[in-house]
Order: sequence, then C-alpha cells, then structure tokens
Amino acid sequence: MHKTVTGATALAVAGALALGVAACGGGSSSSSNSGSSGGSGGKTSGSGSSGTSGSGGGHVTVVQGTAPDYLDPQEGYTTQAANAMWISYTPLYTYAHKAGQAGGQVIPGLAQDYPQITDGGKKYTMTLRQGLKFSDGKAVKASDFPFTVQRVLKVKWGGSSFITAYIKGAADYAGGKAKDISGITADDSTGKITVELTQAYGAFLNVLAFPNMGLVPTGSPMKTVTTDPLPSGVGPYMVKNIVPNRSYDIVRNPKWTDTTIPGIPAGHVDLTVKIASNTQTEAEQVLNNSADVFDWGDQIPPSLMPQVQSQAGDRFKKVPSLSTYYFFMNTQNKPFNNQQAREAVITALDRRALSRLNGGNFIETCWFLPAGMVGHPSSPCPYGDPKGKPNLAKAKQLVQQSGMAGTEVTVWGQNRDPRKEFTAYYTDLLNKIGFKAKQKVIADTQYFPTIGNLKLHPQTGFADWNQDFPNPSDFYLLLDKNTIQTTNNENPGEVQDPHIQSELAYLNKVPASKLQSAASRWAALDQYTAKKAYSAVYGQDVKPMFYSNKIDFSKVIFHPLFGTDYTSLQLK
Amino acid sequence: MATTESTGTEFTSDLGTLAGEEHAPPGIGPYRLAARRLRRNKVALAFGALFLLIVIICLLAPVYANHIAHTTPSANHLTDQIRIDGKLKDVVSESGIPTGPTWHGRFFLGADTNGRDVAVRLLYGGRNSLVIGFIATFITMVLATILGTAAGYFRGWIDAILSRVFDLLWAYPVYILGIALGVSLAVGGLNLGVTQLKGNSLGVPAVIIGFIYVPYVAKPIRGQVLGLRSREFVDAARAMGQGHTRIMFGEIIPNVTSTIIVFIPLIIANAILTEAGLSYLGAGVQDPNPSWGTMISDGIRLIPSAIHLTLVPGMMLVLCVLGINVFGDGVRDAMDPRAKVRIEH
Repeated sequence: MHKTVTGATALAVAGALALGVAACGGGSSSSSNSGSSGGSGGKTSGSGSSGTSGSGGGHVTVVQGTAPDYLDPQEGYTTQAANAMWISYTPLYTYAHKAGQAGGQVIPGLAQDYPQITDGGKKYTMTLRQGLKFSDGKAVKASDFPFTVQRVLKVKWGGSSFITAYIKGAADYAGGKAKDISGITADDSTGKITVELTQAYGAFLNVLAFPNMGLVPTGSPMKTVTTDPLPSGVGPYMVKNIVPNRSYDIVRNPKWTDTTIPGIPAGHVDLTVKIASNTQTEAEQVLNNSADVFDWGDQIPPSLMPQVQSQAGDRFKKVPSLSTYYFFMNTQNKPFNNQQAREAVITALDRRALSRLNGGNFIETCWFLPAGMVGHPSSPCPYGDPKGKPNLAKAKQLVQQSGMAGTEVTVWGQNRDPRKEFTAYYTDLLNKIGFKAKQKVIADTQYFPTIGNLKLHPQTGFADWNQDFPNPSDFYLLLDKNTIQTTNNENPGEVQDPHIQSELAYLNKVPASKLQSAASRWAALDQYTAKKAYSAVYGQDVKPMFYSNKIDFSKVIFHPLFGTDYTSLQLK
Repeated sequence: MATTESTGTEFTSDLGTLAGEEHAPPGIGPYRLAARRLRRNKVALAFGALFLLIVIICLLAPVYANHIAHTTPSANHLTDQIRIDGKLKDVVSESGIPTGPTWHGRFFLGADTNGRDVAVRLLYGGRNSLVIGFIATFITMVLATILGTAAGYFRGWIDAILSRVFDLLWAYPVYILGIALGVSLAVGGLNLGVTQLKGNSLGVPAVIIGFIYVPYVAKPIRGQVLGLRSREFVDAARAMGQGHTRIMFGEIIPNVTSTIIVFIPLIIANAILTEAGLSYLGAGVQDPNPSWGTMISDGIRLIPSAIHLTLVPGMMLVLCVLGINVFGDGVRDAMDPRAKVRIEH
C-alpha cells in the first residue's frame, strides 16, 4: 500500500487575506459542524455528535487531508483507498482484524480454508465458500476470481507486477497477447480455484490478500470507475455517494453479519469520509469533536500538538509504523545516473531536519527496510549517522567529483503538509551542494499518478511506502526492475540493478513461514541498496491515533496494515 | 465582477478643457496644473510616500539578507541554533515549532516551518509582488492602449471582434480566470514564441495578471477614442495625408495619456492584490519563491502558535495596496476632478 497520499474592493480583499485567514484556519469548527451533520448522501448523521449512541449503531465522520487515489476496488493503492477497500471488497484471503503483529496474520476470506500449495510452491488450490453474495445480491462465483485479476491488470493497478511477475499467463494478458490468464482456472460448480505460478513466491498468499484482489462480479466495467455505482463487493461495508475529492460514504452492508465470514466482523457504525482542505483543519475538527476520526496517513501539525496533548490526551496516541519515507532519484537520467551524485545527496541529507518538519514523528534511518521488518540491518549507515550532523563539505566535493555540478534538477513534491515542506528542504539542499534545483509541487491527489507516468522520467522527488504485508519483498517492489510500468509506476527511480534482481529471485521464493531464515540475506541486500545510494531514505513514520471524544478509544483497533479499522469504531 | 465606471462623458481627458475649471495662469500646461493639484492633496502624497517607502525597503532586500540576516530567502535553517540574549535557541524545535520574532538581526520576525528567516522572505516576497505588479501593469497598459485605440479608431468589424473579446474576458471573474491560467501554466510554463517562461518563473503570474486586466483599461480607452476620432485635429491630420498608424500614435494616443496615467496606480494595486490572491491559492508565485500571498498561505497552519507568520505579510499587503490606491485616487482627482475611475471585483 501504499503511498500515504495518503492525501468588493481591493482593500477588502487585502484585509481578508491579511486577517480573515485567521477565521479560515482557526474557525473551522463552525463550518465543519454543519458539514459533518449532513453526510453526502443526505442522511442525518453528523459526526459522532448526532449519531445514535451505543455500540450497535451510529454514524461517524472521518476526515482525511487528501482523497484516495482511486476508489475503484482494483486500482486504489493509497492508505486512504485501502481503508475503505479492505472492508468492502474481501479477497480470497484477508488479514485478521487485530492490532499489532497479530493483524499481519493472513486468514481465509472468501476461500473456505488456507490454500493447498503444491508443485514446489508454484500451484495454489483453493475452494470458494458456499452461499456468498455480493452487496447487490448476486451470488459469488469462482469465475469472479479470474475476472477480478483480469480487471486488476486492465486498470493498471500500481502493484500489477505482483501478478504479472508470478501468475502464469498474466504478463501476456496484461500485454494484450492473451484473452485470459492461462494460470488461473475456476470451476463455478465446485467453487475450486487454482492459480499456477511461473516461479514460487513466498509472499503469494499476501498477494492474494491485497484489497485490490477483492472479488467483483463478472461483467463489471473493465475500466476505472470513479463515481457511483462502484462495482459491488463482498464485505461488511459498501462505498457509495462519492463526490470526487470531497466526500464519500462507507455504509454497513445490511446482508453482512459477524458470522458471514469468521474473523471479519460487521461494523458498528456508518461512516462519512470528508476530505479536509489541510491537516490543520482536519486536526482541529477532531480536536473540537466536529469530526471523529483523524486520518492515520496524515500528521497532526506541530503547532496543534500541545493542544492535542493537553486537551485530548486520552484520545490520542502515537504508533510506530512499518513505513519508509525517501526521496527517489532517477538512476537512468542525469544527474542521478551517477552514483557519486546520489551519494552526495545522502551524505548531505539532514534527517533531523526532516523529522522536525514532520513534527518530530520520524525515526531517522538510512535503510530501506524499516525497523521491525525482517531484514532491517543493524550495521552503521554507509554515508554517516542518520541521527547526526550531515557532512555538507564532503557532499559538495562528491558533486564536483561526479561532474554533475550545476546540473538542473526538478524536484517533484506533493502539495500537502508536511510533504511540501520536505520538498522545499530537499530543493534547498540540492542547491547548497552544487546542483541547480527547482521544485515542482503538484496537487496531492495528482502527485503519484503524475510521477508514476514513465514518460515523464521524473528526476527526483518525494516518495513513501507503508507496508502492504509483513514481508520485505513488499518494500523491494519499489526497487524491482519488473515493477517499472508505463503508468502507476511504483519505481520512479527506475532502479534496474542485476544484483538486486538476482537476490530478489531467491528471496522472493522464501515462504512467509520461513522468512526469519532469510533475514540476514535480506539485511545484506538492504546494505547493498544503501551503499549504492539508490534512494535517499530519511525516516520511518510514527502514526497518529486520534479520535473525537464520541468514539470509544479503548475499542479501536489500529491495524498494522490499514491503520484505523473502521469495523472496530464504536460510539461511547 | 469588475466594472469600470466613467462619467457620462466617458472619462474625458481633454485636460485643456478641464483646466478651465480652475483658472490657471496663462502658460501653465495641463500636467503642471495636475501636479499642482496633487501637491495640495496631502493625504494622497502621504500614502504615495508610504508606498514608495515599501518599494525602497523591498528593493533593499538583498542588502538586509546579506549584511544583517546573513541568509537567503530560501535557505532552510531547520537544525540551526541562534543565540538570543546569551542563550542558544533552536530555530525550529524538535517538535517542529519555529522560533518567534527575535527582534535581532537574524530572524527578526522569526522563522517559518522550514526555518527560513521570515523578515528576509517578507522583503523578497514584497519585491516579487511589486515586480509582478509593475510588469503586469506594463503588459496591461501596452496591450490595452493598442487594442482599445485600434477598436475605437477603426470601428467596424475590428471593433466588433475586439469588443467581444474584451466582453468575454470581462465576463470571467478575475480570480477564476487567474487560477485556471495559473494552474495550467504552473507545470508546463508558457511558450511565447520568442521566449519561454518556466512554470516557476515570476513571469508567468505577471503575464496572466497583465492579460486579465486588459479589458478593464481597453474599454474606457476605446470609448474615449470613439469620441476623439471625429475631432477636427484628427480630420486635419487625415487631410494632410497621414496614415492610420501615425494618426493613432501621433494624434489619438497623446490625447488619452491622462486616462492611461490615472489607470496605472489602480492597475498596480489590483495586480499586487491579484498576485497575492493567486499565490495564496497556489496559482501564482511558486515555492520556494516567496510572495506575500504564499507567506500568508504557509502561515495558516501555524496560526495557533505563530500568528505573526500570517499577519505580517498580510499587513504589508494592506499597507502597500492602501498606499498605491489612495495615491492613485489623488492622481485621478488631480488629472480629472470629474472622473470616477475605479476597478472593482
């Protein structure tokens, strides 16, 4: 998952700009109150403030600083999208609705049981549960699975390489050379589904558990759907009433009960998700209880933290996440096709500065694999202590030696706090060490689709990654040559390293159950990656759990992959 | 919507006639007379001086940055410390809160979230706002004078086409049009044939604003030229065999100069204000270039802890626009006491 895009008179106007902004920033409560009481679907709701009390119902308002990249179940790939998708589109396998490490456990979803894995890890055989229905009442068929996988490839999901690299015939289908995916068979009469792989992949069960693999009915449009009605799914919730970039509702599926699929609870409340104009407004709304859930993909602005801690300490908590924040550097184009130029950037990078921009909510690091992930190296960083002062003089020297001094660099950034500030810092840094950098900050919702357009060949810019599943191969998707694709490219640095490829060919085969046995080899790979300076990694994010006082904080499950588990939200 | 109001006589600028209101001593020209009137308007002069002071202060931005603040407008000082009254203090705290005003040379008005010196950015921002204001005004006045004169002089189909284009532009609210152009040009820049403006260039908002205000000036000029083209001195020039271009530039335009002069301060004020508005909305000056609009926008999220980040650039904007506007009103009154030229949104 997920990139956290998560997401009169002249004088009168001058006066408004000078003074009125105070009302804009500080007085958002009144507008948000009215805003949150309607819900885009016109239902009477209104944040926790007017919802039905008690654990069995009610309505809450979630505020997000940026909209999901897509709400299409097969295409969404940001944390905001995944929050809604994993409870509305259940795949054959899914994740336990539990906090902490237990939440990383894969459980059967639409499949009856765990798969039979044969042929040296290259064949998965599963059986669909009986009697399942989509939210529109249609019966779920085994053949909906191959259709769903085809749809994933047709809409060019950013993680498509997880499929094309492993499922037999998927690459041909994606390339238009085949009409269906030869490696997938499904029998509607028995519910049996088989998936054949071209090579064993230890994390393939996690691939099947991607929210994007949540089944949709055969016949759903084979193109991106951005408005109502979305394809129907199987899950405790349904997404509807979409107002692009403004709001959408996540409402309970009336046909779902706690026993429909063991381990997937029916939710307690309906939700309206509203897109706030900025994180300041977002945090203020939750602080003053006019909205109920702060998006875990955002950060509470530093200026508001003292208030949050003093006034809402009992409904706020920081949770370290398995994430990596970095600046990608395009290894195929000047100046970062030169290793010394990349080393210079990393040598000069002041991770303490970036942590301050993030309100102190970074664990400074140089490794691509975050602490807590199997394979996270414990050795010293190759280009200086990430918690120490950087060596600017050496960085300048490296730029001179690289012959890239004075090269024009465009730094891509996302118009969202604090990412915009990260970009400003980074641009200044590049200029300080001898490049001629200028920044290009674009709308938050357009950012990842833009830098993911291969034709653009972005030179460098902001990037981040939150784990999709507890396996280092998820992070190495970002440095895998096979993930480079024309759109929704997740490897904007265009890293194509034969050593990484050969190591991934081995490491990706290690079964999830034996992951620890490969920890040292993963660590060696991560050290190699850091030494080659492919990305300027700077931090591992600490996420906020922040809710209104209407929410029963003790009942909230903060999932390691999906953050706030909406099925766990209950009103006091 | 913006409107330009004129008197029933369409902002007559025949200063010779107007001078008759005040019995001028023989030999005093209309411009000297206007200057005399302006000198008597102490309020206008005071506000003009205020504007001039702001211009001078902003022009001295590099001097302040280099010799007093010892930084540049886009230099980040996130992990730096400063000594205030003998004590070391973080420019930006570990939790991300920037220091407030130190009232010393460095960080006189404090720092922003990136640890940049607010006072330096304020001066450079003002410089950028003023540069954009002046360039935009120049573009507006040149285009409006040529197009307005051509429309009024030639009449017929040229007038019909130009007037409809003016109406079309006029029909769009200024900020909506500005945002649409600003956002679309921010990424790709602007190719003007002979030159190309990059997306983050100050030239982009200047061209956009200059273009937007053309109808607001061109239409009154056109109205005035319609009256002038049938006057005796134009007939005389035509009878002497002068061509259209020579008549327009030699006979007509000199007679609309007072209108142009009156519009200049008003357009400067509106251009500065529009630039601030567009920058505030992300469609004007692009980071890391400072402008008062972007500074207000950046300061919003720190209002609870550092309200000065928003208020100081806002107050500078108010003073600057107020200064040039009141001075502009004084110039208008001096040039033509009967005229009511105003640009409103």
